[in-house]
Amino acid sequence: MTTGTPQRFVERPMRFWSVGWDVDRGVTEADQEATLLARIARRDAIAFETLYDRYSRPVYSLAVRMLGNPQAAQEVAQEIFLHIWRGAGEFIPTRGSARSWVLSLAHHRTVDALRRQRVRTVEPLAEGDPGAGGGADVVEQALRGVEGATVRSALMTLSPEQREAIVLAFYGGYTQQEIANRLRIPLGTVKTRIRDGMQRLRVQLVQGEEERE
Amino acid sequence: MTHEHASELLAAFALHALDRDGARAVSAHVRSCAECQRELASLQGVTEQLGSAVRQISPPPGLREAVLARTQVRQDLVQLRRRWAVGLAGAAALLLVVLAGLGVSLSRQFTALSTRLEAQEQVLALLSAPSARSVSMSGSVTAAARFVYDPNRGRGALVVSDLRDPGREFVYQVWLIAGTQPESAGVFRPAPGQSVVFPLAADFSRYQAVAISVERAPSGAPQPTTTPILIGKL
Repeated sequence: MTTGTPQRFVERPMRFWSVGWDVDRGVTEADQEATLLARIARRDAIAFETLYDRYSRPVYSLAVRMLGNPQAAQEVAQEIFLHIWRGAGEFIPTRGSARSWVLSLAHHRTVDALRRQRVRTVEPLAEGDPGAGGGADVVEQALRGVEGATVRSALMTLSPEQREAIVLAFYGGYTQQEIANRLRIPLGTVKTRIRDGMQRLRVQLVQGEEERE
Repeated sequence: MTHEHASELLAAFALHALDRDGARAVSAHVRSCAECQRELASLQGVTEQLGSAVRQISPPPGLREAVLARTQVRQDLVQLRRRWAVGLAGAAALLLVVLAGLGVSLSRQFTALSTRLEAQEQVLALLSAPSARSVSMSGSVTAAARFVYDPNRGRGALVVSDLRDPGREFVYQVWLIAGTQPESAGVFRPAPGQSVVFPLAADFSRYQAVAISVERAPSGAPQPTTTPILIGKL
C-alpha cells in the first residue's frame, strides 16, 4: 500500500469524543446527528448540507490517508456522501452513534476503493517484492499519519504483531487473508491478533476516555 | 454462520477486513443477534476513533459543490417526478373537464349550426324557385327583415338581422294576418350577432300580411297585445 506522498496540510485540534452533552442546547450531539440522518432519509437537502459540512473533513482525511492520493480521495468522498444520501434510512440509532455509522460507511467505501485500485494496478507488495513478507515499514508509515494522541498511545500499548495486523487491516484495507499471505503466517494467527488487538484497543480507549473525564 | 463463529469474526468485520462472502455471512448473523449488535456497536466505537485519528485535511471547496450538485440533481429529479405526477393528474382532470365542456358546447353549437344551415338551405331553396317572392318588412325598428316565401309550395321563411334582444321576459312573435285576424306562427329570440331564419309553412294565399310583435315569454300570446314592430305585405 502507498500511504501517501508527503503533503502539507492544515492541521487542526482533533476531537475524539464527539458524543457528549451539548450544554448550550441541552441535547446530545449524537441525538442531533441521528436527527440529521433521519431528515436526510426524508430527502432533506438542508440536513444533508449540514452533515456534509460536519463530516467532509474527517471523511476526506481518512480517504486521503488510506488512498494516498487527493484525487482518488475526492472521488471516493463523493461516492461516500451519495451513499449517505441514499442510505441514511439504514441508520439504526439503537445500534451505535450517527458518527460511528458515517465513519464506518466512509471506511468501508474507502477500503472498497483501495481494493479496486489494487486490482487495477500491480500489487506493490506482491511475492518477490522487497516489501513482501513484512509490513513493518508500511505500518510505520501508516502510524505516522495517525496524529490523535489517544489513539496513537493506545496503539502503542498493543504488541507489535497486534498493531501490525490492525494497522494493515484498518489503514491498509487488507483482508485477514491478505495479511496472512503478506506476513506468511497462518490465517488463524492473524484472526487472533486482530481479535485480541481490538479488545485491548477498546479497553485502552475507554480508559483514556475515563482518565480525561 | 454460528454465533460463536460470527462473534470471533466481529472485530475483523468492524475493521472491514473480511472478504465479501465472510462479511455477508457475519452481517446476516448480526441482523438477528442482539448480543452481536451490541458488540459490533462497541467495536465500531473503536474503528470510529481509528478513522478520526488521521491527520485532518480540509477537502477542496470543489468537492462540496460536486457532492451537493449530484444530490441536488437527484433531488430535483425526485421533485420533478412528483411534480409531474401531480401535474399530469391535474392536467388530465382539467383536460377531461375541458373536453366534456367542449363536447357539450360543440354538440350544442353543432346542433345550432345545423339548424341554421337547414334553415338557410330552406331559404336558398325558396329563393331558387321561380315562383318565390320576397317581401321587405318595415316598422318601428331599424332591423333588416325580409319574408321569403313560395306561395305554390306553401313554404316561407322570415330572415331578420340586427333585431335587439327583447329582454328575458319577452319574445318576438310572428303573425300571419288574414284580413284583420292575426294568427300566431310562432315565437323566436334573436341570437346575438346572428340573423334569425324563421321557417314557416302555410297557405300564403289566405294571408295578406306578416307581422312581428313583442309578446310575453316564453310562448307569446294567442292574439297580439302590442303594436307590431315590423310588418310586410304579402
